[in-house]
Amino acid sequence: MEKSNEQNKEMTAQESLDLISEMLNNNRRCILQNSAKHFILWGALLLVFSIVIYELLHVTRDLRWNLLWFAMPLLGFPLARLLGKNGTAVPQNVISSQLHYIWLAYCAFAVVISIVAMFEMPSCITLLLVALLGFAECSSGLLLKNWPIIIGGFILGVGGAVVAMLVRSEVQLLVFAAGGLILAATGLIVKRQYQ
Amino acid sequence: MTMFPKLDPILHSELRLAVMSILIGVDEADFTYLKKQTGATSGNLSVQIDKLMAAGYITVEKGFKGKVPHTTCKITTTGQDAFNKYVESLKEYLSASK
Repeated sequence: MEKSNEQNKEMTAQESLDLISEMLNNNRRCILQNSAKHFILWGALLLVFSIVIYELLHVTRDLRWNLLWFAMPLLGFPLARLLGKNGTAVPQNVISSQLHYIWLAYCAFAVVISIVAMFEMPSCITLLLVALLGFAECSSGLLLKNWPIIIGGFILGVGGAVVAMLVRSEVQLLVFAAGGLILAATGLIVKRQYQ
Repeated sequence: MTMFPKLDPILHSELRLAVMSILIGVDEADFTYLKKQTGATSGNLSVQIDKLMAAGYITVEKGFKGKVPHTTCKITTTGQDAFNKYVESLKEYLSASK
């Protein structure tokens, strides 16, 4: 909508429909671009944490470095909050709210499963977390009606789980690094799609 | 150019319609966001928001974020109904004029 002194003028039916359509599209684009920033942030964090923890485990062979995973939400949530404060507050629509809830649920699952794993380390934790990560990614793709994200989520979930079954020890962390890459790529796809 | 005197006069104004088109798709939106999306001036936007509020189409919450005044707008059920009716009327008019 152009700035003008005629913003209160009467319009034809076609002009009215065009204006409604323009506003709805701009709004949707703005909201989904904002969601994309969060995909990129969490993808980058997952990638960095996976590689750093992989290196530390590889060099020291000390499993306690796995505790560093808990620093990820501690760092990620304040950063995500900062991202929201930077510039105009972008409202939530149905899609962005649902995306938010899907990833919040994933985060809750991941944290609780990781805490349980601290006491009784199950060999299938990577398999479980990566399958859930793929599921969350796939669900996001279905919500956004975006095939690359749906397929990326499926490959991440199923492929990551299979790889996690085949490889042992800290090499499994590289599955999460791939997950981080796919997550960040999702953000970039959404950002480009709604530019 | 055909005008529509029978359409809802509250909605049949460019800026008020733009505000309602934004609010129909979101939970709520703040004043700064509405200003950015519509490209309106603060004064004009305030006046139009007051008119929409007076019609019962939106609710406005005024508060502070830290020390900065913060205004949030939310569409009401009456507003949603009026918007849907307005869009239906537009579609009917366009299909009748074809």
